[in-house]
Amino acid sequence: MSAQDTVLVVGSGPAGLSAAATVAAMGKKAVLVEKEDVLGGAPIISGYAKLVPSGEWAKDAIGRMVSRVEGDGNIAIHKQTKVSKLDGEAGSFTATLSDGKTVKAGSVVLATGFTHFDSINKPEWGFGTYEDVLTTTQMEQMVSSGQIRCPSDGRVPERVAILLCVGSRDRQIGREWCSKICCTVSTNLAMEIKEISPQTDVFIYYMDIRTFGLYEDKFYWKSQEEFKTKFVKARIAEVTKSPDGRLLVKGEDTLVKRPIVIPMDIVVHAIGMDPSLENPEIAKIFGVGLEKHGFIDKAEQYTNSQGTTRKGIYVCGAATGPDDIDSSIAQGQSAGARAVADLHGRQKVAV
Amino acid sequence: MAIHEKTLIDPDRILQHDHLVIDGVDVSGSWNTMISPRTLTDYDDGFEKVIQSYAGAENVHRCWQCGSCTNSCTMYAQNVDFNPRYWIYLIRLGLKAELLKDKDIIWQCVSCNKCTNICPKDVRPEGVMKATAHWLEENGLIAKTRSTMFDEEFTEQCIEYGRIEDTEVMVGFFKKSGQPLVQAWIVEFGKRLTKHLPLSQLTKMGMNVVFRPKTKSWGKTGEVLAEYVKAQKEAAHHG
Ligand SMILES: Cc1cc2nc3c(=O)[nH]c(=O)nc-3n(C[C@H](O)[C@H](O)[C@H](O)COP(=O)(O)OP(=O)(O)OC[C@H]3O[C@@H](n4cnc5c(N)ncnc54)[C@H](O)[C@@H]3O)c2cc1C
Ligand code: SF4
Ligand code: SF4
Ligand code: SF4
Repeated sequence: MSAQDTVLVVGSGPAGLSAAATVAAMGKKAVLVEKEDVLGGAPIISGYAKLVPSGEWAKDAIGRMVSRVEGDGNIAIHKQTKVSKLDGEAGSFTATLSDGKTVKAGSVVLATGFTHFDSINKPEWGFGTYEDVLTTTQMEQMVSSGQIRCPSDGRVPERVAILLCVGSRDRQIGREWCSKICCTVSTNLAMEIKEISPQTDVFIYYMDIRTFGLYEDKFYWKSQEEFKTKFVKARIAEVTKSPDGRLLVKGEDTLVKRPIVIPMDIVVHAIGMDPSLENPEIAKIFGVGLEKHGFIDKAEQYTNSQGTTRKGIYVCGAATGPDDIDSSIAQGQSAGARAVADLHGRQKVAV
Repeated sequence: MAIHEKTLIDPDRILQHDHLVIDGVDVSGSWNTMISPRTLTDYDDGFEKVIQSYAGAENVHRCWQCGSCTNSCTMYAQNVDFNPRYWIYLIRLGLKAELLKDKDIIWQCVSCNKCTNICPKDVRPEGVMKATAHWLEENGLIAKTRSTMFDEEFTEQCIEYGRIEDTEVMVGFFKKSGQPLVQAWIVEFGKRLTKHLPLSQLTKMGMNVVFRPKTKSWGKTGEVLAEYVKAQKEAAHHG
């Protein structure tokens, strides 16, 4: 392998898998470096249930992306590995991996994704204090297990509350972005819960509902109209426990203009997408800039699509900001194509 | 549509005849109740800016109506009509007449700042409450609050003498707010004070009340200061 026919892809979530497959499909070689011991990124590592919008199980859908890459002779995979040093410049990079190996590559694609918001940072909402307060990822795992039960005592919940925007859209904790996918994921989760456990009623506490584009009728309306999900316009201030062991959600129902203290059996935090905890390190090793929220900064988007602040290094997926799987895949293809074009040395970019 | 909020019906919108007979049918009292429509017919576009011109209310435009402030509010726990989230909405749209319906409770904010600590948009609702109360006072829409009277007495003395004298401020404040000078707690306070303070200190305090010493070479400083404060106020709210 020489630098002229190789692209280094860092991260193997939907974006990285798509970038690597694109590079190989265009007749070049991809070296895929993943820090975990499995490929697939967040949907696999966190065990998501059925994906929006396809309705396919994550392990099947993303699993297909993984086997496409694993079965490709043009793609070399390094698991449990990170890039510890990057020398050279666009056209002739040399990466030193954490296992000591070196990789020569003409261009680099960063697909290092995001980090789930840690609900411990919002203690007033009861996560870490009460067993029956969960995150969307934990609830997805419960859905995957096929049974909806309160973790505390195994009873079937009469009511589940989903609190939106946990760790997003909140100046108090420096999260000034919308995580884009959690509204849709939550309305979908409400339907999945109802499907498995018809006697459970699901309430979604919202400030805005952002089921963008075609997700409106397929998820928001369907959840409300067919699956009887109740939508309450209130930002919950506090989750506590009542003497009978049920949870209490407290807030102001802004449409009724009245305080509410409503008993619930399970409370789910619709957690947001934080910049990857790795980003400061990635910025240093790869010499790329971060934007003001801490995601990887993008270059001018119109002619330098998926570019970073450094020539020859591209970025895709949730590494650039909250995004869904479909967009991450599209960006992965775009970044892969840009990286291959670099190998040909035939790009016109106004930088 | 169901009426989900009965308090929204102002008494003067409920139309009812005590004695009414239509086509020989007696429909007196609640049988003929009608509710006149509650239609808002305009926004006062400049109102938000006016409130914003008061210190502390600069961020009112950031509010997205999540209700966290109201829920956390100390006063809301006492009285659900005390609703900062709702008032901020009215301020933002310029629904002044609606806001004025609550003019007699808005000043009750106790500045605990629980709202400010929870607000996800950093609106600082406490500042907005204070600003609104000041706006109401300055425009004669509510009687001056006691805290304003106290502030005024305090400021007047500062400007006149370049300093304040505690007893004088209290006496002036009681006069302004129409309170009796002799109140049980003051008597008790005086008793304990005489018990614990040395005689020399007490004498000095007494002399100060009688002779009102000015700060040395205060001269025209007070007048200049008063001018400046006035100019600042005008620039802030009418500029
Ligand atoms: C609760 C929840 C549910 C969701 N459900 C859906 C859904 O149903 N449908 C949908 O479209 N989207 C969904 N999303 C969004 C989805 O998770 C993201 O769009 C997607 O994971 C982004 O893919 P990615 O490849 O950019 O990043 P990731 O999935 O985060 O993958 C990044 C990969 O890079 C690796 N990595 C990171 N740093 C390094 C490093 N320094 N060196 C090597 N490897 C590294 C990571 O280990 C990981 O494998 C959901 C998000 C959340 C929070
Ligand atoms: S997608 Fe919905 S839940 Fe997620 S941050 Fe945006 S508004 Fe909040
Ligand atoms: S500062 Fe005022 S408005 Fe804010 S919570 Fe306290 S009493 Fe309520
Ligand atoms: S907490 Fe802040 S954003 Fe929410 S309603 Fe109150 S002022 Fe508005």
